[in-house]
Amino acid sequence: MATDPIGAAGQAPLERVPTGIPGLDTVLRGGLLKAGIYIVRGEPGAGKTILGNQFCFNHAAAGHHAVYVTLMAETHDRMMQHMQTMSFFEPARIPDGLYYVSGFRVLEEDGITGFIDLLWREIRTHNATLLVLDGLIVTAESSGSDRDFRKFIHELQAHMAIEGCTALLLTNGRRNEYHPEYTMVDGLIELHDVLFGTQAERELEVRKLRGTDALRGRHSFRITDGGIVVYPRIEALLARPSAADQWPDERCATGVNQLDAMLGGGIPRSTATLVLGASGSGKTSLGLHFFSQSSAREPGLFFGFYETPLRLRHKAAGLGIMLDGLIEQGHLEILWHPPTEDILDALGNRLVEAVRRRRVKRLVIDGLLGFQEIAADRPHRIGRFLTALANELRVLNVTTVYTAETRNLIGGVIEGPTIGLSTIAENLILLRYVEIRSQLRRLISVVKMRDSDFDSSLREFRIMSTGIELADTFDSAEAILSGFPQLTTGELPADKAARRPRVK
Amino acid sequence: MATVLVVDDEFGIVDVLETILTDEGYRVLTACNGKQGLVRLSAGKPDVILLDFMMPILGGAEMLRAMAAEPAYQRIPVIMISSLGEDVIAEKCKGYAAFLHKPFRAAVVLNAVARVLDRAKNDAT
Repeated sequence: MATDPIGAAGQAPLERVPTGIPGLDTVLRGGLLKAGIYIVRGEPGAGKTILGNQFCFNHAAAGHHAVYVTLMAETHDRMMQHMQTMSFFEPARIPDGLYYVSGFRVLEEDGITGFIDLLWREIRTHNATLLVLDGLIVTAESSGSDRDFRKFIHELQAHMAIEGCTALLLTNGRRNEYHPEYTMVDGLIELHDVLFGTQAERELEVRKLRGTDALRGRHSFRITDGGIVVYPRIEALLARPSAADQWPDERCATGVNQLDAMLGGGIPRSTATLVLGASGSGKTSLGLHFFSQSSAREPGLFFGFYETPLRLRHKAAGLGIMLDGLIEQGHLEILWHPPTEDILDALGNRLVEAVRRRRVKRLVIDGLLGFQEIAADRPHRIGRFLTALANELRVLNVTTVYTAETRNLIGGVIEGPTIGLSTIAENLILLRYVEIRSQLRRLISVVKMRDSDFDSSLREFRIMSTGIELADTFDSAEAILSGFPQLTTGELPADKAARRPRVK
Repeated sequence: MATVLVVDDEFGIVDVLETILTDEGYRVLTACNGKQGLVRLSAGKPDVILLDFMMPILGGAEMLRAMAAEPAYQRIPVIMISSLGEDVIAEKCKGYAAFLHKPFRAAVVLNAVARVLDRAKNDAT
């Protein structure tokens, strides 16, 4: 069991009992406090029983002992049948590490006094340091009055403190929080099932936690084959970046030499660059160039929403970029998440975890609007979510390229995403289509680079089988915009090659 | 009419077993833990016991041990019932006659009770 590093000066640090439930200990800042009593409240089907069982099995797997007491819940064999599909369920932990008993008959026959005696005996008999009581509402109903129930909670607290046992009391949401149990216990965790439009999402909230801090607010969770997985809300988790900011004053090559020249040597390291352009304008291609420069020293991650890894590899091959070798060497990783029914914070946590796991230094987030689509029913979150994410990526020394689509394909007005871009990206590169004499031509320009000089001229560019090629100068772009394109000194390398005299 | 003692902490299971065994013509006694089970034994000797493994206060294995120490109870056949595997029960419990895995069908319970009672009768003769 872990101890709290932020114990008050001169006092013994509070010992923690980790739940072992992914994400929940992050929300609880390390776990529950030893010998504390906590209520988990939620409607039927909210996941209380799974949470209680998962905690018990994790506790037993860590070498401790737990007792699970049911009242008018499903039978133990039925409960085990439901649990055995989940990876935390290890039958070998029962009965030595985890012991199941029903206390209903004792509660019926001997009342609250007999029941508290049963709990105490079971804790002592099995040397338990975790007690889960499934069905607190039955105890409340069996108490003659609120006073009797308050007495039950008080006695339970005394027993838990003496035995050094942590208790989790599971109950449905029928009693309101002004009832005595909520004021007396050390913590209250609520499980909710919320509808956003037609999409259902499970949420967990720590409403009360004595003696320690928690990540406040609601956090999404899922019930998976591995049990409950909590996804701490990114804005709360990364409210402050995990490390101090740095200013490396180095440049990161984009993989397109002419663009690096426009940027004054490349993208400033540990900054974020937004590549904005219409559909098909070359955003992903530019991202792939940047991604292809990954190495053992600069591991890369491509986090995309629209193109599968297979299609992405084919697309890269079409640009003369061979990713397979780099992937095999572990320099690159491609993660694909279709923007369907996913959880915004699941994505955010997965992204941060993937960056930390491989110490990623080059990151492409292809399709920034994918986040926006997933959070379509909660648009107010997206700005803070992306800002928190961007701040964390900076302190992790990640150089990030985001791509985002403009709404209009061609034209003088550019409609970008409706989120606050300046907090997310320091640098802005714009890709545009220009229609001239029945032909679509592409232009690139660097619009913004924070605290750095850059070439702001428009350049024509083409996407070739050898990759992206930029004109050396702005002349061809100028000619295109004037409506009279002609080959000048600003011609593209491909045109230059075509003009070369053939050698017989 | 044979008497069956059902010892289980889960009231739903006790109620169901009591119903199906009574319907079959057995006299049924019930207890919600091993301690209460031993009290019932002292009040009147049953012909067979259906004994749950995990119970509060006194578990099935402990009740079996207490019965083994008392000559008057040593010959009462015990059918262990549990949602755990028989390997766990075999490791923890000694001297039981049969094992039933929860959840079980009524026919399986009735068959096991009849079989164990027959065997006990044959052993006695």
